[in-house]
Amino acid sequence: MESGLIERTTAERSSADLDCWMQRYQQADPDAPGALVAALSPALLRFFRSQVSSREQADDLLQDTWLRIHRARHTYRPGEPVLPWVYAIARRARVDGYRRSRRIAVHETTPHVLPEPPAQGEPRNTLPAFETLVACLPDAQREVITMLKVGGLSLEEVARATSSTVGAVKQKAHRAYERLRRLLHADAEDLPEVHNEVQ
Amino acid sequence: MKCNDINRALIEGAVALPLTPEARDHVNNCERCRQLVGAPGVPVSEASPSPATLLQIERRLVADLRPVQPIAPKRYFFAYLVAIFICVVAVGVYRIGAFALAVMSPLQAGAILGALAVSTGLLAYSLVNQMVPGSRHRIPPALLPLGITISLGIAIAVLFQFQHEQNFWTRSWGCIRAGTPIGALATVPLWLVLRRGAILSPIVTGAATGLLAGLVGTTALEIHCPILDAWHILVSHLGVAVLGTMAGFFLGLAAEGSKTMRRRA
Repeated sequence: MESGLIERTTAERSSADLDCWMQRYQQADPDAPGALVAALSPALLRFFRSQVSSREQADDLLQDTWLRIHRARHTYRPGEPVLPWVYAIARRARVDGYRRSRRIAVHETTPHVLPEPPAQGEPRNTLPAFETLVACLPDAQREVITMLKVGGLSLEEVARATSSTVGAVKQKAHRAYERLRRLLHADAEDLPEVHNEVQ
Repeated sequence: MKCNDINRALIEGAVALPLTPEARDHVNNCERCRQLVGAPGVPVSEASPSPATLLQIERRLVADLRPVQPIAPKRYFFAYLVAIFICVVAVGVYRIGAFALAVMSPLQAGAILGALAVSTGLLAYSLVNQMVPGSRHRIPPALLPLGITISLGIAIAVLFQFQHEQNFWTRSWGCIRAGTPIGALATVPLWLVLRRGAILSPIVTGAATGLLAGLVGTTALEIHCPILDAWHILVSHLGVAVLGTMAGFFLGLAAEGSKTMRRRA
């Protein structure tokens, strides 16, 4: 099972494949959970990584999301797009996770974490990392940009996942690009300072 | 081509390599656009889940795997919600009587009952979509209860005259006391239908369900109460719907809070 899982991790899944696997998941096919987990988890983890600061938190959110998906699997209607269904659940898991961590943070004092600079000797990219870049955006805009560019969702799918309309998604994305344009124009060295200014 | 056009192309996924000659010209001459077009292609660092994590998730899912029946089509749930609305209004009107239809003009009766029917349809449709994650929403569900309440308020203000009614609060309290139990009666079957879906946002769904239940009471009162003063209708009839919305909102808030606490534990 393990080797199959690793092989499947790299496999690209089309929308029709995902729909097929979801139907098999509903019919309790034991291969279906592994196929779906392998196909969807990398994009989901990237979605969480761009929204939360720590890798551990992103891993927790990923596991929480899959448990929620498992409990809500009967609400998937065959033939409907899978990605908005999955991302709507993931988005909710992230919101709940954020609230939990905020409650914990009230009782704990943690130093403000800024994006880490690249290690010495590491080839430096002229552009900042995606997470660093989108970290400067407000939550709603960051979410939309991440779903569009990291999750690979269409405007219609993002609108479905965020319980919004296509017009509202376009507006958020447009504002996000305007803000990114301003931030990118600043020197990459100054990005953390710009980040602080924005926040 | 301008910077805004590049934005639009990025949003709609139209920026692909190679760029169109127009886009390439603009990107070559515009430093900001050049960086913007390149930026989303930057990979997210350390973003692959470990095979051990994937395997752990897979095992947990397989351990609890059993066949499930996909949720019924939307139209069934829509029909259930509308049927509940009509049945509870009918029961309520049967209990308290229908005296308003005799005193309202056909225009007033048709317009206010039509507005209530449209509001019910919109709410039922929104709730059906809220039951299934990733559904298409024509109107954002968080805004719908507010929009419906304001629209009904305007409709009442336009259709009925503002008068100085005697014993305003006594009569209003009587209507609220008559309408609230009818709305509360509707919440039980509504909840039984909604629990078959996956409610992601209890606050939004709670407010919408509360408003729908409240509108059951409001509709029964519109058919029952012969007082045509706009203030009275706004405060005591539409007030039942507002009370329902607030109750649903706070119940949703409590449900969300308890869910967060459970997960934290």
